[in-house]
Amino acid sequence: MIVFISGGVRSGKSRIAETYVQKLAAPGSQVHYIATARASDDEMKQRIAHHQKRRQKQTVKWATWEQPVRLDKLIPVFTKNDVVLLDCVTNWLANELFADESWQKETVCFRKARQMWATLQQLENASRALIIVSNELFSGGVPDDLGTYHFMKTLGWLHQQIVTNAQVAILVQNGIAVVKKGESCL
Amino acid sequence: MRAYYRIGERKDVVWYNGYEREYGEPDANILERIVVLEGLEAAIRRIPDVTYWKQMFQRRREWEQQGAGRTVVWIGTDITQGVVPVEKEERLWRDVTGWCYQQLAQLCDRVDRIWCGLAERMK
Repeated sequence: MIVFISGGVRSGKSRIAETYVQKLAAPGSQVHYIATARASDDEMKQRIAHHQKRRQKQTVKWATWEQPVRLDKLIPVFTKNDVVLLDCVTNWLANELFADESWQKETVCFRKARQMWATLQQLENASRALIIVSNELFSGGVPDDLGTYHFMKTLGWLHQQIVTNAQVAILVQNGIAVVKKGESCL
Repeated sequence: MRAYYRIGERKDVVWYNGYEREYGEPDANILERIVVLEGLEAAIRRIPDVTYWKQMFQRRREWEQQGAGRTVVWIGTDITQGVVPVEKEERLWRDVTGWCYQQLAQLCDRVDRIWCGLAERMK
């Protein structure tokens, strides 16, 4: 099953996603955390440290995978009893799109997005539950520069595929989870 | 939207993309029956004038009413929910877009807010 959780920056979406992981884990489930962010500067390092600290305080023992690109490599790691938290699609897509200069072509961007969607479906099938975290970044308007335009377009497309196939889709605003699809199991 | 109006199956659709170019003047003689105008906020940015857009909305509406099975679909991104921009020009664009969307919502038979492909019908 897929649970999709989206929200603005600092909206509390990671916290809600982690609660979901604990709810969906069965006895004997290993819980996995796929981190897609790259610690490229001090601010990003701080953000990552903040999330790591919170996870360390929890009673569940997370297996953390730092995988900024090519998440398909992780598929063999999981078992059908495992719960996987992917945090987040936004960083992953940016890492894939801007890995080379091909982001200038919309067709290439969509080819990459389709590959990512295939990987997400494989991750879903390889695990007990896949919780996908992403960002709401569609309220600031559509930017003029081509890279960001392609990024937003493919991210929107990915969100649509995920939500269509998700059992639960949640929008987090100010720490409050608004269930847009399915029923919350919290 | 594509699924609802079965855009892929129809041949009588004309699609304008405001991100790529201007919409231009409405052509009353077109043979298509569905007109889609995407990227409205980008089009408004080029012409941030409420009076102009009011007139455009009205003219498209009239075209729609003049023939059976005609539909005009306006698609815009909601840009009104961010922090108030520092630049005057950006504020004007945002204000005009908000006003235009209000005008449109009043004029339209149906209004949806889309989130990740899920439509929430407002009207």
